[in-house]
Amino acid sequence: MSYRHSATGRAVLRSLVPVICPREAFDLADAIVDHMALTLGASPSLLQKGFAAGLLTYDLGALPRYLCRARALHGDKAERYYASWEHGPTPLHTQFARAINQLMSLSCYEMPQMMERVGYRPAPFIAEVTQRRLTVYRDDVRKQEAQILAPDPLRPNVRIGKRMRAS
Amino acid sequence: MAIARPALHEGTRPRGVYTRHDIHGDTVLDADVVVVGSGAGGSTIAAELAEAGFEVVVVEEGSYYQTRDFTADTSAMVRQLYRDGGATMALGTPPILYQEGRAVGGSTVINGGMSWRTPDKVLQRWEREAGLAGITRDLDEYFTRVEKRIHVAPMDPDVIGNDNHLLKKGADAKGWNIIGNLRNQNHCAGSNRCAFGCPTGAKQSALVSYVPRALHYGTRIYADVRVDAITRHGKRATGVIGTVRGTSHRITVRAKLVVSACGAIHTPALLARSGFKSPSGYLGRNLSMHPNVKVVAIFDESVANWKGAHQAFQVREFQDQGLVFAAVGMPPSVLAMSFPHRGQQLGTLMDQYDHMLLAGMLCEDTATGRVRTIDGKPQAFYQLAEADAANLKRGVSLLSELLFAAGAKRILLPFHGAPDLYGPDDARRLLDQHIPAKGWEVVTVHMMGTARMGNDRTRDVTDGFGLVHDADRLMVADASLFPTPIGVNPMETIMALATRNAGFVIDNAKRFLS
Repeated sequence: MSYRHSATGRAVLRSLVPVICPREAFDLADAIVDHMALTLGASPSLLQKGFAAGLLTYDLGALPRYLCRARALHGDKAERYYASWEHGPTPLHTQFARAINQLMSLSCYEMPQMMERVGYRPAPFIAEVTQRRLTVYRDDVRKQEAQILAPDPLRPNVRIGKRMRAS
Repeated sequence: MAIARPALHEGTRPRGVYTRHDIHGDTVLDADVVVVGSGAGGSTIAAELAEAGFEVVVVEEGSYYQTRDFTADTSAMVRQLYRDGGATMALGTPPILYQEGRAVGGSTVINGGMSWRTPDKVLQRWEREAGLAGITRDLDEYFTRVEKRIHVAPMDPDVIGNDNHLLKKGADAKGWNIIGNLRNQNHCAGSNRCAFGCPTGAKQSALVSYVPRALHYGTRIYADVRVDAITRHGKRATGVIGTVRGTSHRITVRAKLVVSACGAIHTPALLARSGFKSPSGYLGRNLSMHPNVKVVAIFDESVANWKGAHQAFQVREFQDQGLVFAAVGMPPSVLAMSFPHRGQQLGTLMDQYDHMLLAGMLCEDTATGRVRTIDGKPQAFYQLAEADAANLKRGVSLLSELLFAAGAKRILLPFHGAPDLYGPDDARRLLDQHIPAKGWEVVTVHMMGTARMGNDRTRDVTDGFGLVHDADRLMVADASLFPTPIGVNPMETIMALATRNAGFVIDNAKRFLS
């Protein structure tokens, strides 16, 4: 399944990066928004459609109060508008704001720069411990691989052959 | 714009594994047994039957990956290995996020590897309430067999990380019972990536144990195929028909026995959309979920929760009351996602990632939910019982006390809008607070009971060997069979039941092959 942000959706999400992500991530806004599309692409289609519709509603919902779309809001105005959904008038507003927060926070901390910032460096660690296991426990690893394939019938005296199948 | 990434499973595959790249048109296959799903139940029964000489075809909706495909890219792994990218939800108050593996090897590819036998008290309850006389004694030999196959063993001490040492320190300080976890691993390397596909090959998931064994004995596995329906002739199941994902190619498997092993959410849906209506009315009902909640504790010292074996210990002090605690390392992205914080608050909090300990709690539930089949697709409904919510609250309080005893300075709770805790008195005061059900953040990976086994056709969906009542040649071999929740991690129970079911088929081979 694949998912592409609409132009509106992309612009809205882009404008929300400074609201939801820490300032260290502001320069990564495009990559964060791209990553969100990947995550949404794996989710149920109903959720994808709901999210896209929610973004459009969020964008237009700013018009009465700010006389511009949400995507054009910056700074305090963007913050206040998002907060109005976060503590919103209906559970739908609240849930949608929470969903954006969750998806964007996930994508934000999937950025290599942000992982590095919090000291999370899994790839070299995995390589190191894998190598160590294969070196220190080589014999046990091979023994288990052999055990997995070794004959050990559940019912030692029964072997279903063509004859039984034919009968 | 979405970034295109290559499929991970492209590369050399073992003989007997077929993917969507191998299927170029409509295909018809014949077998003695067709198994739907390749997880704990499906791969086990396939391997046992194949070794006995049955011709077995396994049909799996997920793709085929190998250990080398499991990387440090967390969200790529989630997208590829989890159904719906991990975003499946049981509706209720609160909604419960549940996760299922969707890959060859099923949920064993993404679970923590905890391998526990069904507690005797649970089996005795099954004997009493489901009429499964002798199952406590029967299962013993099957547990032993499974444990050998998937190499159930205690952890090597040198790979236990600081998060688990702290959990033990807290339990010891409180004088609470804490035990080393038994896990299906062969010298776990402590990469703490169990939930995203073990990249070291140490976790003996079905992917690296029962699946290779099944293939070795001649099983054919068709990955990337979603089974649309079980075909039937009257009450007799005659095979399955499915669609190759991403194509319109159809696969038909004609078989003498059909085994549904696609989990407690999808098995009832598959049976229902295939027209098998249990006269008991219980198909899809009796859904148990072992609700899980987590707390995040922040310590002064470095915790480095992502280094070291996953869930090396379990706190069993309150198991009789349905509560089990463990420490579960998670990547920063997953933790960030779970916090309500945002902006600079989120950044400040996440800067303490190295000092965070994530502890989870499993609750043996008393409520039951339901899987409904809507337009052919399953939708789970589950309402957290008041008693279970009270038990969860008590568990959070106790777990927080333990973490403060271990030296935690601050604890973040799994309720929306809840204030953080700064000491054991705060933890105890939690018990007096009312926490509305809608405020809980609950997740689960243990779904059970939706085609429960038992000898009473008026209340049970299958008999004691998983054969569907009032159907012919149709068997269930997954956690759907559990008559009740089991209070421990279910993988080993599923595998033992699947082995027992396989034994029944072998013992009655003539009946099933005629």
